[in-house]
Amino acid sequence: MNRALRCLPLLILALAWEFISRTGLVSGSALPSLVKIGEAWWGLARDGDLWTHGAASAWRVGAGLFCAIVIGAALGIGMAWWRPADMVLGPFVEIFYPLPKSALIPVTALWLGFGDGSKILLIALGCMLPVTIGAYNGARSSDRTLVWSARSMGAGRLRVLRDVVAPSALPELLSGIRTALAISFVLLIASELIVARSGFGYLIGFLGANGTYEPMFAVVLTVAFLGFVADRLYQAFTRRVFAWRE
Amino acid sequence: MAGMSAPDTDTPGLAARIGHGLARWSLVIGLLLLWDILARSGSFTPFMLPSPESVAQRIWRDASNGDLPINMGLTLYRALTGFLIAALLGVGTGLLITRSAAAAWFFDPIISVGFPMPKITFLPVIVLWLGFYDTAKISMVVFDAIFPAITGTIVGIRAVEKELLWSARNLGAKEREMLWQILLPAASPQIMTGLQVSLPIALIVAIVAEMLMGGYGIGGAMQQASSMADSRGVFAGIVEIAVVGWVLVKGMSLLRRRLLMWHPEAEAPSGV
Amino acid sequence: MSEITIEGVRHLYKPARGKPVLALDDVSLEIAPREFIALLGPSGCGKSTLLYMIGGFLPVETGSIRVNGKKVEGPGPERGIVFQHFALFPWKTVKQNVLYGLERQALQRGEREARAQTFIDMVGLSGFEDAYPSQLSGGMKQRAAIARTLAIDPRILLMDEPFGALDAQTRHLMQDELLGIWRRSPKTVIFVTHDVQEAVYLAGRVAVMSARPGKIMDIVDIGLDKSDPDLQRSKAFADKVDQLWRLVRDEAIKAQQGRRPL
Repeated sequence: MNRALRCLPLLILALAWEFISRTGLVSGSALPSLVKIGEAWWGLARDGDLWTHGAASAWRVGAGLFCAIVIGAALGIGMAWWRPADMVLGPFVEIFYPLPKSALIPVTALWLGFGDGSKILLIALGCMLPVTIGAYNGARSSDRTLVWSARSMGAGRLRVLRDVVAPSALPELLSGIRTALAISFVLLIASELIVARSGFGYLIGFLGANGTYEPMFAVVLTVAFLGFVADRLYQAFTRRVFAWRE
Repeated sequence: MAGMSAPDTDTPGLAARIGHGLARWSLVIGLLLLWDILARSGSFTPFMLPSPESVAQRIWRDASNGDLPINMGLTLYRALTGFLIAALLGVGTGLLITRSAAAAWFFDPIISVGFPMPKITFLPVIVLWLGFYDTAKISMVVFDAIFPAITGTIVGIRAVEKELLWSARNLGAKEREMLWQILLPAASPQIMTGLQVSLPIALIVAIVAEMLMGGYGIGGAMQQASSMADSRGVFAGIVEIAVVGWVLVKGMSLLRRRLLMWHPEAEAPSGV
Repeated sequence: MSEITIEGVRHLYKPARGKPVLALDDVSLEIAPREFIALLGPSGCGKSTLLYMIGGFLPVETGSIRVNGKKVEGPGPERGIVFQHFALFPWKTVKQNVLYGLERQALQRGEREARAQTFIDMVGLSGFEDAYPSQLSGGMKQRAAIARTLAIDPRILLMDEPFGALDAQTRHLMQDELLGIWRRSPKTVIFVTHDVQEAVYLAGRVAVMSARPGKIMDIVDIGLDKSDPDLQRSKAFADKVDQLWRLVRDEAIKAQQGRRPL
């Protein structure tokens, strides 16, 4: 009941959409009826277009994010732990962090062409720094009395890194990864819209260019929904990791 | 990573400041040198990695024939107009949500769905509705940049301490004064944090919109260069955008420091 | 002979920005085995700094600190420490926290578990073995931290205002329990506090420190019968508190004034 009431505004929006579309206040191509969009979605799913393009997008996001998280976290913790690394790499992070990541799209396309490689590199480069900064700030903020406690109970430096610094860095690291997750969707769709021959973004552009707006809306809403679900799942995952925080 | 550490609370000596400035500039110079060495080493073709000199020449040429000012100006116009609209609407919506239960009921689910959604997917839809002109680009920027502004405002206002409100009321503040003199200033750190996330998003989205829709603007110019395999043009674009991004992010954190001088804070994250 | 020898220790605190501050100046102190000594002084007098140096967490740059004749060069399990804000690992349960130090020692698994349980029972946390620190009250957190430190059986117990973050009632209970524990298995205890009553109640000797720079002004023998249940109401107790309070008060005022230019 409570939940239904909470979702009611979304339902109202959907009904308004349907109403505007049916009464012809705007043309059917600018705002197709949700029912027709649903039918178009089903058509795409049956033809398999949705799955093949979806798989291409999923592989790009998955591989790109994986590289970004592994390299980014290692860099961040390494920089917090070892001063020379901080001194050498810190400046690069500071210079490249404010770079609007979408500017990398033409560069990666120039380097690796229209295929998967350029998207994976783009996502890896674009999502790495938020992870690095999360890990760095998290590791730097580890409470010195925790480090000292572990040392006084006989833990060596590497052990302290594993048992104290890494877990202390986790909350900020995970929130950096959440930012990276959001950026990865933006970069994926943007690059696929602009330079690609497969993937959800390409499919949206292709359908739009052909004037088939019902399936285009179907894919747009699917991607929006997937982005939302990915974030929710990630939050559920972090809540599990932080059972100790209460 | 000096930019991410706490702001200076006490003034360091002149020598320290000069040293700091030197260290920063030597960084940029070091990066250029590294780039130059890599470009000359022969491990990359000039197509993959044009030399810094050739890119600098390109930027100079574009600057002197007027392309660069036009492109830069248009990109900034779109990003900043969108950002300002998003900031005003966002803070307004955030206020409304915290002041009215009905607004909260209506907007809360929409925001919790809309915030994590990749808004950029709607770019083709917005093109369909508004065409290829600035309205479409700016609308896209607003749509994407508004959410951090809203949530920042909500978080900020909800975190204002009850004691502060009670004592203000006790001292005779009226509703209107409460808003402008107590609520908004007290919430300003979080509002600023939200805006500091919004601004880079505005720039990212403006550039993507330009790349997709073509025409003038740094994004459009880069996309055109890329499709003609003009790698100098692409790298010139990267350098230009990097400078713009850096200036905007720094500008925001300076603004934050000025506005929040009273606030004993560590500098907030500069966002996406 | 003395267990801990502190000789001519100076410490210059260098903040990231601003001028260095002389936190400790020429501090010398001898501490006997199984003695309960309090370091008493206003905040900012460097008493915690001295404790951290004995613990081996901060380097000794001038002067020397020896434990059983050996120079302190880093932390070690023979010197257990309890912090004001507990320093429990928040991602570990009470039991995992207590086990942490034991896992660093050559013990059988069963032996470790039994030992951890003994100390959890001793501080009265039976039934809370699987609770996370965030689920415990301040007093319970400090009990867990004390159990964790005692479990590795250190010869020396360093306590950094351990009851400073607790409410008054809990603080009294914890003081009595600490005395009970110390009486049952005497260890050398160095107890940092700014609370005069607490110092007189717990310690056998009190080293009174001055502020800016931190120096030992006076060492006072308490010489009271700690097993007397009415100790805190006795005249002798009140006299000692009064004597120490006079010593500390001027320093506290000085420390306040020293802070004003900030």
